[in-house]
Amino acid sequence: MTRHFLYLTNSRLVSIITQGKRIAARREFAVTGAGASEFERYLSSFVDAPTHLFTDLSEEDFRLDTIPHVGARDREAIVARKLGQIFRSSPYRYAVMQGREPEGRRDDRVIYTAITNPELLRPWVDAIERHAVPLTGIYSAAVFSSVMLEELDLVFPHTLLVTFTPGQAMRQTYFKDGEIKFSRLTPVDLEEGQTLGMMVAEETTRTWQYLDSLRHFAGDDRLEVCVLVHPSDRSAVQPELRDFAQIQYRLVDMEQASMKLGLKPAPLDSTDEEVLVHLFLMRPAANHFASRELRRFSALRRARIALNQVSIAILAAGIAWGGYNFFRALQGNQAEQQVNRDISTLDREYDEITRALPSFGVGGATMRDTVAFYNSSIRAFPTLTEFLVPISQVLQAYPDVQLAQVAWQATDDAKATPAMNLGAPRMAPPVHALNKEGAAAPPAAAADSNSNPPYAGGKFEVALMEASVRVGANDFRGAIDRVTKISEAIGKLPGYRCEVVESPLDVRSNIAIQGRQSNAEPSMMDTRFVLRVLRDRGAT
Amino acid sequence: MSTVFTASGARNLRVSWVLLALSIVAAILIVLASQWYREREHREGSQAERRLQEARGRVEAARRERDSLQESADVFRMLVDRGLLQGEHRLDLVEMVNALRARHQLFSLDYEIAAQRPLQLPGGRVYPAVEVLASRVKVRLRALHEGDVLGFVQDLGQSRQGFYPLDRCLMKRVEAPADSIQPHVEADCAFEWITLKDKTGGNRAG
Repeated sequence: MTRHFLYLTNSRLVSIITQGKRIAARREFAVTGAGASEFERYLSSFVDAPTHLFTDLSEEDFRLDTIPHVGARDREAIVARKLGQIFRSSPYRYAVMQGREPEGRRDDRVIYTAITNPELLRPWVDAIERHAVPLTGIYSAAVFSSVMLEELDLVFPHTLLVTFTPGQAMRQTYFKDGEIKFSRLTPVDLEEGQTLGMMVAEETTRTWQYLDSLRHFAGDDRLEVCVLVHPSDRSAVQPELRDFAQIQYRLVDMEQASMKLGLKPAPLDSTDEEVLVHLFLMRPAANHFASRELRRFSALRRARIALNQVSIAILAAGIAWGGYNFFRALQGNQAEQQVNRDISTLDREYDEITRALPSFGVGGATMRDTVAFYNSSIRAFPTLTEFLVPISQVLQAYPDVQLAQVAWQATDDAKATPAMNLGAPRMAPPVHALNKEGAAAPPAAAADSNSNPPYAGGKFEVALMEASVRVGANDFRGAIDRVTKISEAIGKLPGYRCEVVESPLDVRSNIAIQGRQSNAEPSMMDTRFVLRVLRDRGAT
Repeated sequence: MSTVFTASGARNLRVSWVLLALSIVAAILIVLASQWYREREHREGSQAERRLQEARGRVEAARRERDSLQESADVFRMLVDRGLLQGEHRLDLVEMVNALRARHQLFSLDYEIAAQRPLQLPGGRVYPAVEVLASRVKVRLRALHEGDVLGFVQDLGQSRQGFYPLDRCLMKRVEAPADSIQPHVEADCAFEWITLKDKTGGNRAG
């Protein structure tokens, strides 16, 4: 970042251009009308650079004061009023608050400073105003020089900093415990035979006497006089400086100081403006003398920079957000492309599967339904032969049993009973039962008149079997026992259940029995019985 | 800061204010446009995911159907060969019944084939692709021995053409001299002659 520093003395204006922390250019102008005109032309090249004006003028006055310790706003009001009273004719005035008194009311210590002749600044400030240069502040070189003491480790209870300014002047600034108390600028106007060292010794002794008259020193206090000189001037200064009990001289080598501060290249003479500029770059200070009106272009510049930075930040944030969205969208797009490739692969696989499906000129659904119907309704449909074969095997053990008729039915209803008309036995027994209605037990056969019967299903097979067993005359007990055994034998077949619908002789108490005995009875008799056989195909 | 908001300050900063406004507008447009683009891609991605799921389901169903059809292809071929998907050929049935009568030496054989009808399946079951049709067939036959009756119905059920599940049969002994050549058994039986009709309009198999 480019900055423009102006260092104004009573005879010279030094312009220093810095780039970052480095001094990039330097130019001096005479404090004359011609110098001011030349400066204005020169200034037009740096109208955008923030500009700092240091003043190092003999017309800068310092006043020490104490004010009651009050709140910040009241203190500002008091200080402003005091500055107005003391430096009524100058707009370039400033107050440095320096802490509080150690005793009494513990008032606030303050030092007022001002450039008592504002006309000295007018041509330069007017040029700055005309070019709308962003003036950041006007600074007192004397006040700011306290930074030099701190950075060079020259803070003593009583320090007198002696520096040389452009235009042959020597500034003496007195610091008590690091606080500026007094400053004075003396032209370097050597008399014949007088060396720079002799002048420094005389002026510093005079300043000590002045400060001592103001009771700045106690009996054993000693003033540390720090003289910043270039090695080229050292031989002219050092021999003349002799320490006393109250004064001790410390020559601060300009090159060593520059090295310590990191100022490269070091100044070529003993003037301190480049050191102060470098210190300002290290430790920027607040404005001293410039009014808000004078600093308005700087404020506008800062505002412009801030607005532009905000604009860039908003735009960058928008671009970043947009970039993030675009990135995510691209990710989604790539994922979508992958998904589309997967879909294409699946579609190809689907086509291959479809082409490879077995076809008989019908759709898959037709094939599936056809097979499903066959498997559920036809494949395992019962047959009469399969039903009768196991029963026949049971009956083979009873040769005296003769089957008269079988009514068989495939059904899904386990309670169904096929219709059957019972026949008359060839050799009727002399005793038979009469039911309450006087009719036979099984339902009579009826014609299969339903022209649209539902599909039988075939979970069960039900049969009524009419048969007769030949036993000895009146051996009803043997006949019943035989039928019971037959029924039990059939019931033991897997999935078969058998019940006696009509016994050879129903001996239940609620059934009437009719008998007709005679001497001409045959030796054998056929007793009829009816069995109901159920075959549960799910149980086999 | 008050300098900034004076008339001269506003004039001085006019370009910066305009740039700020343009930056805000541009940033909003960039964000909205990119957001729209991202959401569009997200929507399309979601649709693609749905299509992918559908394609996976379609392929999985096709695989299942392939496996199922491969398992039942042999069965289906047999059913097609036995004419399950063909219409009724009643003359064939008449000829087959007569042939069975001769083979089992039945004394008499009366039969009646009713009109074809949609068959009601247990539980009201309906197949989406085929319609089940049936003709009720009743037979009355007289034979020398019950084995002839059983052989007749057995051969009918195992016929190479058509399906004839027998669901009712009344078989009874007829009084006759034991050593005479007369019918000793008579039977009244009923069965369904089942055929299927392809509802999908596909080519008739076989």
